[in-house]
Amino acid sequence: MIQVRFAGLGGQGILLMGEILGEASVIEKKYVGQASSYGAEARGSACNSDVVISDSWIDYPEVTEADVLACMSQGTYEQNKTKVNASSGIIFFDSQMVKPDPASSLKHIPVPATEKALTELGNRMVANMVLLGAVVKALNLVTEESLRQALTSRVPPSLLKLNIKALALGFELGRIREI
Amino acid sequence: MKEKIFQMINTEAFPTPFCPGCGHGILMGAVLRAIAELEYDMKQMLFVSGIGCAAWIPSPHFKADTLHTLHGRAIAYATGAKLYNPKLKVVVISGDGDLSAIGGNHLIHAARRDMDMTVICANNAIYGMTGGQVASTTPLGSITTTTPKGNQEPPFDLCKLVEGAGATYVARQSVAAPIPLTRILKKAISHRGFAFVEVLSPCPTHFGRRNAFRTAYDMIQSLKNSCISTEKIRGMSPEELLGKITVGQLVDKGTEGGRS
Amino acid sequence: MPIQRKKIKSSLAPGWYFMQGDEACAEGAIAAGCRFYAGYPITPASEVMIRMVQRLADIDGVFIQMEDEIGSISSVIGASWAGAKAMTATSGPGISLMTEAVGYAVITETPCVIVDVQRAGPSTGQATRPAQGDIMQVKWGPHGDNEIVALAPWSVQEMYALTIKAFNYAERFRLPAFIMADEAVGHLRETLVVKEEVEVWDRYKAPGLPPFGTEERNGVPPMPSFGEGANLLVTGSTHDSWGFRKTADPAVQARLTERLVLKVRDFKDEVIETESYFLDDAEVGVLAYGFTARAALQAVKRLRNQGMKAGLLRLISIWPFADEAIIKLGKKCRVIFVPEMNRGQVAGELKKYTTTPIISLPKTNGEVIEPGEIVEGIRRNMA
Ligand SMILES: Cc1ncc(C[n+]2csc(CCOP(=O)(O)OP(=O)(O)O)c2C)c(N)n1
Ligand code: SF4
Ligand SMILES: [Mg+2]
Repeated sequence: MIQVRFAGLGGQGILLMGEILGEASVIEKKYVGQASSYGAEARGSACNSDVVISDSWIDYPEVTEADVLACMSQGTYEQNKTKVNASSGIIFFDSQMVKPDPASSLKHIPVPATEKALTELGNRMVANMVLLGAVVKALNLVTEESLRQALTSRVPPSLLKLNIKALALGFELGRIREI
Repeated sequence: MKEKIFQMINTEAFPTPFCPGCGHGILMGAVLRAIAELEYDMKQMLFVSGIGCAAWIPSPHFKADTLHTLHGRAIAYATGAKLYNPKLKVVVISGDGDLSAIGGNHLIHAARRDMDMTVICANNAIYGMTGGQVASTTPLGSITTTTPKGNQEPPFDLCKLVEGAGATYVARQSVAAPIPLTRILKKAISHRGFAFVEVLSPCPTHFGRRNAFRTAYDMIQSLKNSCISTEKIRGMSPEELLGKITVGQLVDKGTEGGRS
Repeated sequence: MPIQRKKIKSSLAPGWYFMQGDEACAEGAIAAGCRFYAGYPITPASEVMIRMVQRLADIDGVFIQMEDEIGSISSVIGASWAGAKAMTATSGPGISLMTEAVGYAVITETPCVIVDVQRAGPSTGQATRPAQGDIMQVKWGPHGDNEIVALAPWSVQEMYALTIKAFNYAERFRLPAFIMADEAVGHLRETLVVKEEVEVWDRYKAPGLPPFGTEERNGVPPMPSFGEGANLLVTGSTHDSWGFRKTADPAVQARLTERLVLKVRDFKDEVIETESYFLDDAEVGVLAYGFTARAALQAVKRLRNQGMKAGLLRLISIWPFADEAIIKLGKKCRVIFVPEMNRGQVAGELKKYTTTPIISLPKTNGEVIEPGEIVEGIRRNMA
């Protein structure tokens, strides 16, 4: 079983990250629990999207202690870094948005998601998919194909191409940082 | 005709529980006669009512499907039944308090939707069943058990209310004129879409007694004097119309058939 | 009474789905044969309505957004008498408005399903936050004695499966059946595995027999529909077996009220459903239901790892209450902990059935109960 938390601000597409990973895992016939929390405002407030993935029934489907934190804002990084498994947890962070805590002994992996989305795709809105692709690839959570399939069912057709490219960028970054 | 009407009722439920002189009995007769003249099959009809004396008009007297619901909710129950089985001819019969006070929200929304049903409001301007409290239809100044010094609140004009909400057939008539009433009921029941008929029906026990009507007969006479048909009203001066009640067909819009 | 039980092909293609609880509830309804839905928007139940709009359109069912929750439940009851399997979904404020009509459905013996996706109260409370505060309300809200069925799903899978069961029980017993969900399970997305077939029960029809009475003191009469020529007399007033109002006859009132209760109580084992975890040698009992039971299961496993003989009894059905299971649990355990997202509603109910000490672990801050909190609560009390 693995517990993954995506965290960031409303408007960054955090909820979608969790939903797509959840959907992709079910495509691979895994048991998934996915829950989100967000502030009252649609934009700018802190939000989390949690995914628990397992090969068998999950007793408690919410994240109690994250194995993986993927973070897209400083505030939510500060809030969540203590909720990561102290011995084996990993934090992925958007290197343009988050300055990691130098005192933390946790494994930190920078992902230039926003930067790449801007320079390579000219659209920072898909930074979420870059980060998602990187996390999924680096940890081998699901296959590229399952993730693409899940994306297709959740993104409007007009934006699909752009999002697929963003995922591919993420896969590249994740491959380099294989762990 | 009499024979026919006998077949439309549960004879074992008679005599009705209404007080002597109550207008609701006349209304019951008019509804049955209208359906008989229309030659509708009672087996395809559903009568829905709320709570109150008027709500007892169909239930248990009519030999058809009847749904005696909660206070104010008849139209909402009727909506569900009609939507699921559009073949049912749905007629709601209930009181003024039931349909316009506690049930007022369902009334205006069914009118807005142009729900395919006929709503017959037996308006006695009072809560009859509970002992004569003021209603949303009680005229200004009337004495009721909750307005001992006379009602201070202006009443609804129910016909205008439902017209404003979108009803496609609206009419008013009193039980003092049973033949025109039957005619109106026939039109309303055969209308497709939301039809509303306000039927002025005296409650001698709780309204008449407290408001200087010595007998039920006085109330019927008073209705006869104050009701003026939509045809006669043309050319009358405002002074002549003071205190008069317009009766007859008020709205009849062609409709696609209403929601069902 | 010979209820029609049949296996039919699932309306959703068999397979694995990633679905939200509220959506799975709607899918369960469709699978059970629900063809009428009336609702009024309210967080966190609106997703049930949205899914029903789409699904009923596919299959020529009826959907209507009513003017309020009283209208919703009223039209559901009307549709049920017109022959429909009918449902509405809401949350606490809507349940409060529906309460009078629930009593009406009980006395007129109208099958219908009411989904309560519970949120934090009282009153408007916290619209987006979970709670389990309506457990007593759905049972004791309406005036008079009302036997109803209430089931508490703990997963998306059960939002689907228990909704099907709720429809079946509604038809079997002719009463309103509740799904006691909460915001957490309603909004949770999870794996839903849909099988080839579902078991669906249809109402019993027997033209010519009285629709409101039986020979037996605990029977369920057959139910005709409007338009079938039965000259139905449906009334919320006390009535005889044919539906004639008898509002001053003590014998009729006694017989009716007794039957409305006995028809459920005498057959409660058909509905009561519980699950036991590690109870064989348990000394410390935990009783939980709904989403909270998942935290409780985790907690019990952790306590076992720490050497404590803890065990969990999960209530899948809430009403009728699992009295015998509680009696057994009381005999087995030294103490019973009851974590719940209210101020001890079910904890209090337990005291009717056992003298074993009951310790309530209530939480009403609008957040779910986490496993660690239950562990900590038990440890604190056992120290
Ligand atoms: C919720 C609720 N509130 C109050 C009552 C009591 N009640 C029964 S009949 C009635 C008034 C009925 O008045 P109306 O609809 O005008 O019918 P009438 O008796 O005048 O024909 C009231 C208030 C009730 N049955 N239910
Ligand atoms: S109380 Fe009034 S409305 Fe009721 S039956 Fe008597 S006269 Fe008619
Ligand atoms: Mg009245």
